[in-house]
Amino acid sequence: MATVPALEKPTMTVADAPAVQPKTGLRKYWHLYAAISPFYLLFLAFGLVPVGFSLYLSFHRWDGLGSMEWAGLSQYQYLLSDSDFWQSIGTTIVIWALATFPMIFLAMVTAVMLNSAVRYKNLYRFAYFLPNVTSVVAIAIVFGSIFSTNFGLVNALLQAVGLDQVAWLNTPWGIKVAIATLMTWQWTGYNAIIFLAGLQTIPSDLYEAARIDGAGPVQTFFRVTLPLLRPTLLFVLVVSTVTGLQSFSEPQVLLQTTANESTFSGGPDHAGRTMVLYFFQQTFDNNDFGYGAAVAWGIFLVVVLFSIINWRLLQRRGEEQ
Amino acid sequence: MRLSRRGLLRAGLAGTAATALGGLASGCAVPTGSTGRNMVLWYWSGGLSDTVVKNAKARYDRSVDLDAIQIGGYYRSKLITTMAGNAHIPDIAGLKGEDMASYLPNADQFVDLRTLGADKYKSQYLSWKWDQGIADDGSMVGFPIDCGPVAHFYQYAVFRKAGLPHEPEDVSRELDTWEKFFAAGERLKKRIPGTYLLTDVNAVFENVVQQGSRRYVDKDRNFVGDREHVRNAWALAVEAKRRGIVSSIVNGTPDQISAKESGRLPSQLGASWATGDLKNEVPKTEGRWRVAQMPVRPSNNGGSFLSITKACREPERAFEIIAWLLNADNQAQGFVDAGLFPSTPASYGMKKLQEPDPFFDGQVTMDVFGPAAQKIAVAYNSPYDVALGQPIKDEIKNVGVLGKDPKQAWEDAMSKCRRIAKHLGVSY
Amino acid sequence: MASIKGSRRRGIALHAVLIVGLLLSAFPFYWAVIMSTHTSSEIFSYPPKLLPGSHFLENVRNLFDAIDFFGSMWNSLLVATTVTFLVLFFDSLAAFVFAKFRFPGRKLLFALLMLIFMVPAQLAAIPQFVIMAKIGWIGSMTALIVPAAANAFGIFWMRQYMKSAIHDELLDAAKLDGANFMRQYWHVALPVVRPGLAFLGIFTFMGQWNDYAWPLIALTNPDNVTLQVALSQLNGTHGTTDYGMVMTGAVLALVPLLIVFAIGARQIIGDLAKGAVRE
Repeated sequence: MATVPALEKPTMTVADAPAVQPKTGLRKYWHLYAAISPFYLLFLAFGLVPVGFSLYLSFHRWDGLGSMEWAGLSQYQYLLSDSDFWQSIGTTIVIWALATFPMIFLAMVTAVMLNSAVRYKNLYRFAYFLPNVTSVVAIAIVFGSIFSTNFGLVNALLQAVGLDQVAWLNTPWGIKVAIATLMTWQWTGYNAIIFLAGLQTIPSDLYEAARIDGAGPVQTFFRVTLPLLRPTLLFVLVVSTVTGLQSFSEPQVLLQTTANESTFSGGPDHAGRTMVLYFFQQTFDNNDFGYGAAVAWGIFLVVVLFSIINWRLLQRRGEEQ
Repeated sequence: MRLSRRGLLRAGLAGTAATALGGLASGCAVPTGSTGRNMVLWYWSGGLSDTVVKNAKARYDRSVDLDAIQIGGYYRSKLITTMAGNAHIPDIAGLKGEDMASYLPNADQFVDLRTLGADKYKSQYLSWKWDQGIADDGSMVGFPIDCGPVAHFYQYAVFRKAGLPHEPEDVSRELDTWEKFFAAGERLKKRIPGTYLLTDVNAVFENVVQQGSRRYVDKDRNFVGDREHVRNAWALAVEAKRRGIVSSIVNGTPDQISAKESGRLPSQLGASWATGDLKNEVPKTEGRWRVAQMPVRPSNNGGSFLSITKACREPERAFEIIAWLLNADNQAQGFVDAGLFPSTPASYGMKKLQEPDPFFDGQVTMDVFGPAAQKIAVAYNSPYDVALGQPIKDEIKNVGVLGKDPKQAWEDAMSKCRRIAKHLGVSY
Repeated sequence: MASIKGSRRRGIALHAVLIVGLLLSAFPFYWAVIMSTHTSSEIFSYPPKLLPGSHFLENVRNLFDAIDFFGSMWNSLLVATTVTFLVLFFDSLAAFVFAKFRFPGRKLLFALLMLIFMVPAQLAAIPQFVIMAKIGWIGSMTALIVPAAANAFGIFWMRQYMKSAIHDELLDAAKLDGANFMRQYWHVALPVVRPGLAFLGIFTFMGQWNDYAWPLIALTNPDNVTLQVALSQLNGTHGTTDYGMVMTGAVLALVPLLIVFAIGARQIIGDLAKGAVRE
């Protein structure tokens, strides 16, 4: 497994001497190991067995109740040839991209606006937090209304400017856009709060200096704010990747239909069936727990791959500046 | 607005993601099941009548502490987790009808109810429903709770205006084949433009399949989704689309609610419990609806079971409680309290089930659902039905919604089924 | 220099944009509150009801009859508060080490942490249930608290935050003064990362408060559950769910969250004037 590339610049590190003698090392660093140990101990106690077991499971057939049957590599072989799984990867990535980039942009703009000295800051901050806590039932009802064909808000707006109605929840692209919109709505405020916290680490004298140099707000943003916000931006991008590529509740909320239909199938042409929904479908609709485990490990690989790509990209851009 | 209840449950559950995957099937030294007086029963909200459960507690109070627990969220994942983990397993477990096919191959995890004398109750229950609780090896896993006979809901005034039969007996008698049903749809659309008989093609496809005795995989693990009964359902669904009697409305959007309310979607094929959904969704339409028999023969949608797990220390006592909970009197109470349609025909004639319903302008709906429940075909449900039925349902949906070429769609469905069948070890 | 007029115009434009965002963000929440004042059938009626109805108290009564609202809320408070404090301590301590110290195996350990972060959450329930059953924690809040006491997300976040918030000169000065590791953490690091901690605290609390899959499986005694588990029992089968009551439960369950947010968010832009650096 590739190591995660380090982000820090040399100047950021503490003047703590690098490790010299391995013998004195452990004695010298024991307090550091102790300080990071709780997370790893908890993982050993409660995380390792489940992870190991799902790996074991992915080499078997299992219906969830009966006895397991050895299946060798066949689950993974099927995974590689399973066009439905590959389609779900594409679907997930498209939805992720449609949601993540507008979301990060909007979140940053919102954070910068809130960070400048506006009034009623508390009120805005509070309101932007609300999408994150609104109950799923309410979201389902509201967004169902927003995207419905004849009475939906979006189509009303389209018609007002002379455009045709779009059957949002009945066309493959419409579904993806609707899901991405819901995700953007739900997570913009959350990310804005992260950026806001990050903005607090930027010393105000740097802004002062930029102003004395005659920099406008846009210049200040690109020359001062953005470079210093890079650790936060990296965090937001990686977390959005990890959680965005594992999304499933948004399509479910938008596409739930009649009782006879699986909520995991993702609408016409499976346009909203993300990787995790596909996992649910295999595991719970089809009772194929072994294959479900193989799908889960496939998801894991995709997520790791994407996170590394994002990390590297941001890293490189950082070096260029 | 229509929100599927099961959909919401699943969305909620899924909202949580963590669910059963991986398990240690080997036995562990942890407490399982009951100890002495304590008898744990798991069901879900609305799965049994609260009144009946309360009465059962009082009735058996001298011998056991009946601990009836409503499990929220995704019921099956919690039950499977405890059974696979072999700890904290309930003595009596509710099993949902749609999950039944997946429990039956694991009949060894449940007590065979025949060994407790279940056979002597058999005559009191709908025979097709009774058979659904029996595994391939003949052991009885589930004792029938309710069922969901499907009927034809329609709006009286709209049918009358379109010159269609509109009294329930006439609708039942005259729209008794799919051909006549479709013709009525064409007439409806012609007389009142913009009005459709059904929401989508899946309503036709799935009901036709459900009417028969075969699904997608047979007892011997052969794929039968390419046989006559499925081809016929497919052809009828395609015909419904061709003749333009289905709308382009998406299930579960305000469009559908408003279409039902305004009479542009004046008809639907729904199970007995759809009554409760209609009353919730379109309360303003009270008095406008009627119920009649659906074309050809009734199908079933929903209904569940009670089982006794192997962890139960006192199976005889547990069985006594189950048989009492689900007797004809208590099933009638279940219908009144929670809309659970009885699997005991003796309940249908009881006074509290013969009440005129103002939502249906005083019609006694039991007159339709009761006979329907007794005409449902015995069907074999395979644990592989969901996996191998879904590609076909998905493709007919693409025909209905995206206008995909039916021939291409059928070929795509079959090639996908072939692949999945091979993977699951089902012969194609 | 912008003229006073120009800056006022800019201020108005700023508020206009922020208000649009506010309406978009708050509307579904507003609607959820409105739904909690209606009956089930009013909720589903068309056109939708956008003004408060008169059934709120009735819904509240039904809700309190149906579940032990305050008992389960107490459990949720206990779990969420305990976990939040544990996470704030363990995560920030580990993050401090990863952000500001070099030691053998640092990169490898951090890469491992990130990998664990990326494991799909869906992999856990059954084996975790078995482990908990063996320890004997099933049915108790301990089964919820202990596994959640430290997490990769929070360590990653605090590490990124500390990288820019804690300046090396500050640490060096403390070291010259002879401050040991814990004093550096407590007196130098923590005071300057308050906004970062506030974010982590708010969203850890929220995550625990809303968590529901694992509690649903781990808590077997219906008289001793968390609020979300109790609320999940309200969703019934076809045509029987009282959505007015469900929405009332969902809305009332948010009150503690909103309070925690209001308190925590103050820390995020509390002291702009002070700035993050003390040189």
